[in-house]
This record gives sequence, C-alpha cells and structure tokens, in this order.
Amino acid sequence: MTESWGQFKSFEGKKFKALDSEFTAKVSKLIGGEDLTACFQCAKCSAGCPVSDKVNIQIHEVMRMLVFGLKEVLQTDMVWLCTTCYTCQERCPQGIDITDILFGLKNMAYKRGITPSGYVTSAKALYDIGKLYSPTEWEREDLGLDDVPELDVSETKKMLDKTKLLKLQEGM
Amino acid sequence: MTQSYEVFLGCAIPSRFNNYESSMRVVAKELGIELIDFDGASCCGTVVLKSIDEHSWLSMSGRNLALAEQRGHDIVTPCNGCFGSLKDTAHVLHDKKQRKAVNKVLSSLGLEYTGKVKIRHFAEVLYDLKDEIAKKIVKPLDGLKVAFHPGCHLIRPSNVAGFDDPELPNKVDELLELTGAKSVPWGLKLKCCGSPLLIASEDVATEILREKMKSAKEAGANCVVTNCPACHTQFDVQAIGLKDENDESLELPALFITQILGAAMGLDSEQIGFELNRVSLDPINDILGL
Ligand code: SF4
Ligand code: SF4
Repeated sequence: MTESWGQFKSFEGKKFKALDSEFTAKVSKLIGGEDLTACFQCAKCSAGCPVSDKVNIQIHEVMRMLVFGLKEVLQTDMVWLCTTCYTCQERCPQGIDITDILFGLKNMAYKRGITPSGYVTSAKALYDIGKLYSPTEWEREDLGLDDVPELDVSETKKMLDKTKLLKLQEGM
Repeated sequence: MTQSYEVFLGCAIPSRFNNYESSMRVVAKELGIELIDFDGASCCGTVVLKSIDEHSWLSMSGRNLALAEQRGHDIVTPCNGCFGSLKDTAHVLHDKKQRKAVNKVLSSLGLEYTGKVKIRHFAEVLYDLKDEIAKKIVKPLDGLKVAFHPGCHLIRPSNVAGFDDPELPNKVDELLELTGAKSVPWGLKLKCCGSPLLIASEDVATEILREKMKSAKEAGANCVVTNCPACHTQFDVQAIGLKDENDESLELPALFITQILGAAMGLDSEQIGFELNRVSLDPINDILGL
C-alpha cells in the first residue's frame, strides 16, 4: 500500500532461479540469527506486527525468504518499515530473535545503498557531532537547566573512523 | 538510603523535551535520588545506528557504558530508546567475541567495558519508591483518565529489558494511579507508536499514530502519558492537527510520567514545565490545577 519502500512488491509471477544456502548461512551468523532455520511458518510474528497491514511483504514471509536463501529479501519494504518494536521476537514460539535478525538485514541493505536517505544523513550527524540532535538552549535556560555535559567529538570520531562508519557504502 | 546515578539524557530530551528532564529532576530531588551529570556522553546509538552498522552502534554505546563504569556509577535514563540501546549493548557484550571487538575500539580511547555497570530506566527507579511517592501525594488528580503508552523498549524484549510483564505491563500504571488518576485500558496500548519510522516513512508513522489516537479516544482517555521522548514526539508533535476520517480532532494532551507525579506531589509547576507541552492542556487544566 505504501510507496515508501522496496523494489520487491509481491511474489506474484516471481521465479527464483537459485536458492542460495550461503546467504542463509550468512544470515544465521548475524546477531540473533542462530535459530533462524527453526522457523515453522506459524505467522504469529505477522499477527502482532504493527505494520503487517502496511507492507507488501510481511515479516513471516521475510523469514521464509531467509530460510530459502533469497537475497531479494533486502529489497522488501519490511526491512525498513520494521519499527523495531520487538513484538514478534517476544512472541515467536520458536524463540527466534526476529527483530535482531532484521537489524542485521538493515545493515546489509545499508551497505548496498538500499536505505532511506534519512539514515545516511543520520550517520553523518553521528559522526560530525556524536549526536543525532543538538540541545535547544533557550528552553534549557527558561527551565533553569544546566548546560548538557560536553562531549569531545574527537573521541567519537576516532571510534567511528575505526568502525568505518562513513565508508560502509563505498564500492556499492 | 540515597540512590545515586549518572543520568543519561540522550539527544532527544535536551533537543525537544527539556520539560521531561526538568520534571524528572524535581521529582528526583523530592525523593532524594541523586542525579550526577554524565560527562562525555554521546548519542546512545539507538536503533538508528544499530540499523546502519551494529559494530559502530556497539562501540558508540559501549563507550558510554565504559565511561560510567570507569567512574564507578550506575546509569539511569528517562528515555526508552537510550534504555533499550544501552541494555541491548550490555546484553550483546556478554558474548566474549563481541566484547573483545568493542574493547579493541575502546582501547584507543583508554577505555574498557567489563560489564559491571547497571542500567535502569527512571520509571524503574520510581517504581521501587512507590510507597514513598504515595505518601507525598498532596494534590490528587481525580478525574484524569490516562491512556498510558509504555512504549516498546521499556518492556521488550523482556529478557533484555527485565522490567515488567511484556504482555500485561502494569507497574507504571500503578504509579500513575497513586495520584488519583485512572489508567484506562485501551485496545492498542501495547502497539508501537510508530516514531522510529519518522526517518523512513512519515506516512506510515502517521497512519500508526492515527490508529493509536483513535484507540485512546475510544477508551475515554483525556490525556496520553509516556515515559519516552521518542514516543512523545508522536503524541505531542506529530499529533498536532491530526484528524480522523470524519474530520474530528485526534489530539489529546500529552504528558510525561514525571509531570503527572510532579503535579500530584505539589512540586513547582514552572519546573514541571507545562508551558512547553505543545498540544493544548486546556481540557485538563482544572484537574492539573493550572
Ligand atoms: S513466529 Fe517465529 S516460527 Fe512463527 S513464522 Fe514467525 S519467525 Fe517463524
Ligand atoms: S519488530 Fe518489526 S517485524 Fe517485528 S513486530 Fe515489530 S515492526 Fe513487526
């Protein structure tokens, strides 16, 4: 229903040539990925998901695509329209860390440049000022609040240079 | 016994909701909770950086944990996003391999994370003090019908958050009801507010908010209460001017838990910061004594 995200709109008429077991193995190694293949498609995750009625591909379908090794999953709207609410993960009868797996998928998609532009802007802000937003000084003065403690940005920059935050999308 | 914590404010509170910090501070003072400034705090990393790159997120968040740990203090935060991010980091860093990788980054700053520091949400700290709070209620808020929105990361995933029942949370409601307010049951109480989607799709975020507001109104609430600046952005900023399909307003006054408690405890209303609430408080002015 939304035009917001993802090239992959529906399974209709889709043919998948190869099932890539290496991709499944790679996703299983993500944080939270160890029980991925235990998914038995009960769809309880989708039943409680706040965006199930707003996405083209629902979360239980994402899980199926992962078990089948379908890299096209990174193009689905579910990846970036997941609110990170953890309802699915809390309820999965197989104890699969679904939300955490989705974070790993977001990381993979980001590296390939499949991401809402706001995330690229946020990465830059986090690097430049070590924060997402700056304090609103007049409000603080009105309320008699002290200044927010200083952050030496050279420290966070040093770290984020090491983790290559601004170079993740190189060579995409 | 005096409790003392370094207070981790995150980015959203000093930017958009200084009334949350201010009301938190007056309530803490009244209850004898010492809040120490968090020197050198950066962004917690939050779901934003975790979505971009988990290694960067663990390092950014791990640095904050290591700083408090080095100073021998525990952490308290009034933000669900920071709470979730910091606790999740501690959870992931139980893993030796992950911890080693993060400490390799932190060592360049002369820091090390060992896992000793405790992280608490301010709501948890308040809940522990509920008997004291009950004794301090001097201005009961009879007639206030609260749609309390716990938010996601305060309670889920429960093995990380470790605060309340993830399907039937009741602790903060209990606190709110100490004031004489009624926490009304509402159908979509546990549903995410949609705030994290503001960055990916404001349309979808707004659709979710509309569903939430309808549910709160149907339940007969006369205000929404949160314990998180990210959720509050939905209820007190994005909800402004929001209407249903019959053109009826979906706005409801939006308050922080600390504003409710502060008002009922008769604390300085300037510091409670009602002036800065964006959705008009007119419908509940009398109850709040404004
Ligand atoms: S709830 Fe768990 S087992 Fe059921 S479909 Fe979703 S991921 Fe698979
Ligand atoms: S965490 Fe994401 S996928 Fe899971 S229920 Fe919430 S929005 Fe849906």
